[in-house]
Amino acid sequence: MDSLGDTVWDVVICGTGLQQSLLALSLSRSGKKILHIDPNEYYGGPDAAFSLQETEAWVGRHAAPSSGLFKSASITKPEGSTGLSFSRAYSLALAPQLIHSRSKLLSQLVSSRAYKQVEFLAVGSFFTFKPAADPEQKPTLARVPSTREDIAFEASLSLKAKRGLMKFLKFVLDYEGEAQRGVWGPHTDSPFNDFLQKEFKMDSDLQKYIITLTLSLDGEMSTKDGLAIIYRHLTSMGFFGPGFAAVYPKWGGISEIAQVACRAGAVGGAVYMLGTGIQAEETSSNDIQLQLTSGDTVKTKLLVRDNDKEEGTFSVSRLVAIVASPLKALFESVVEGAPLPAVSVTAFPAGSLRTDADEPYDYPVSVAVHSSDTGECPSGQSLLYFSTLSTPRSKEALNKALDSFLQAVNDEQMPERLFELYYEQGRGSVASHVDGRVLTLPNVPPSLAFDDAALDPIKTAWEVAMGEDTANTEYMMFPDREAALDDEMYDD
Amino acid sequence: MASDDSLPTLKVLLIGPSGAGKSALLTRYCDDEFDPESSTATIGIDFKIKKLSVRGKAYRLTLFDTAGQERFRTLSTSFYRGAHGVLLVYDVSSRASFLTMERWFDEAEANTGEGVALYLVGAKLDKAETSREVSYEEGQALADAHGALFCEASAKTRENVRKPFCDIVNQIVSTPGLLSGGNQGRTVGTVQVGKDGWYLSGCSC
Ligand SMILES: Nc1nc2c(ncn2[C@@H]2O[C@H](COP(=O)(O)OP(=O)(O)O)[C@@H](O)[C@H]2O)c(=O)[nH]1
Ligand SMILES: [Mg+2]
Repeated sequence: MDSLGDTVWDVVICGTGLQQSLLALSLSRSGKKILHIDPNEYYGGPDAAFSLQETEAWVGRHAAPSSGLFKSASITKPEGSTGLSFSRAYSLALAPQLIHSRSKLLSQLVSSRAYKQVEFLAVGSFFTFKPAADPEQKPTLARVPSTREDIAFEASLSLKAKRGLMKFLKFVLDYEGEAQRGVWGPHTDSPFNDFLQKEFKMDSDLQKYIITLTLSLDGEMSTKDGLAIIYRHLTSMGFFGPGFAAVYPKWGGISEIAQVACRAGAVGGAVYMLGTGIQAEETSSNDIQLQLTSGDTVKTKLLVRDNDKEEGTFSVSRLVAIVASPLKALFESVVEGAPLPAVSVTAFPAGSLRTDADEPYDYPVSVAVHSSDTGECPSGQSLLYFSTLSTPRSKEALNKALDSFLQAVNDEQMPERLFELYYEQGRGSVASHVDGRVLTLPNVPPSLAFDDAALDPIKTAWEVAMGEDTANTEYMMFPDREAALDDEMYDD
Repeated sequence: MASDDSLPTLKVLLIGPSGAGKSALLTRYCDDEFDPESSTATIGIDFKIKKLSVRGKAYRLTLFDTAGQERFRTLSTSFYRGAHGVLLVYDVSSRASFLTMERWFDEAEANTGEGVALYLVGAKLDKAETSREVSYEEGQALADAHGALFCEASAKTRENVRKPFCDIVNQIVSTPGLLSGGNQGRTVGTVQVGKDGWYLSGCSC
């Protein structure tokens, strides 16, 4: 077998997060010689999904309050609880994201034929959390109507509110039109909330509905961005089937796509090594020489690596909880013919949670609940992925959110809490860096929904690596690599 | 083609060390071809499909090769998802290849659900006469230890080539619950993203 050092690689890619993996797929299928390595023993980098055992090992490495992209990680297991299943019955996603049906990520997976190895599940209802009116009562969840039919049948809405919402949705569906631009143009960069109030006379409840649909981490955005996000939601609604606007890859979300992309890269000829990083590099005029931690020395024309440094913009606090209940009420399909959703999202509007000191918490919190249909936990259990902007009190707020949420969804008794994982995730870098023969890809933003902007740097890196071949090669368009159907009869 | 899509689909994987003869076995079985000059790196094929009838019922068998990811043992957990059966292949003329099989069994067992059919294959049987390094009994004993079936085969001479594939399919379809198994089959809510517009897959099992 050829040794790794005998080849001059076109590109060495370091890191197997989503972007690096899609790059490996696109380049290897476009005929480039790719060596794809990752210092971790697992695929996915910051987008990975872990068994319980792997989670514990990962927490061991990221427990410190400042250690790169992920920090302050800890695990809580309630004493005496016996409900946890075996380690591999779980697949905990570090940065779970739902994918809108109209996302370019899906169309690229289809055109590159990699989608066949991924199972996509429907993301269903959205809820907002309503705190209890007085201490005697339980908090509740209110379903967010997100289609016109939804709105028409939503009992909790007044006729006036319905009319207002309908008018708004119709407006958004055509928001690039000239007349519409005339309306929102003057508000382009001012807060979306204000726009909803001024132009559509929405009260704060209706504003909350709309902001929930944006799945924003901090609830604050410009009118321009808010409209674009609602537009994405509305046009995705019904695109793959009635009643849902987004999908989630079974078994761990983006992590699964990264792995499938790596396999497709391997089918295209890319060579894979895990547990292997770069020890030293030396650039010459024609190539760059890398000394790998495996002991191999390799030459490549281009090195693409991931960013693993926190670049100090903002960070997200996350709480992942396993509970011993299927939380069925969250996963009903509410539209005729709609698939049973496997993921449901609840937003806690700013101010709806109270801190230990009984003060309102000023930032929104969200939770994506995954049913066992995601393959991420055994049946009879659910996985709750809470996230919020990191603040000095975000950990406290997440714990409150978990408490309150379980109160709101329980029927008779509180579901048992089996396992909790807390950590903080930095935003990382937002732009690619090119430095001679070394290109550093930015990180996928840690938002609740996948942002297509994360795909642009991959294409740019592909163009850099393809050089002159860019002009006559189509990006991410590949035929199937499977043999024709062949018949055989066999009877024993 | 439409009717073939509706056949129950079985996913079977071939794993084992580089050079054991996995790709040769697959190519001989599916295309009845053997290329002694073929390089050891398996590139180019994602998976092969074969329609197969067992006990009067037709199945769509999808066979997944390693795409070279066995070389540094980097097969991903997603590769194993939904597999109904795994063929573990070593080379009867290489003791070294046989000695890695315990680890391959471990990996297969860790990444697949309970009841997934495992099948051990001693490949390159044609070389047995001159350069056998692993006895039939050793192979059988290892298979027994893991509750797997076993045979030896040669892609070069065609001897026994169909046997592991037919046997493993037979085992899969006669194990109750394996085909429709809770964590194996597709859930009803699966969304098809690869078609124009949309539709939902029925339960294909
Ligand atoms: N004599 C003999 N050689 C074989 C047989 N099967 C495979 N080979 C050779 O062994 C080498 C490795 O085979 P390959 O199928 O690529 O192994 P893989 O890495 O497991 O896919 C190739 O040179 C094949 O030609 C066989 O049945 N008999
Ligand atoms: Mg091979």
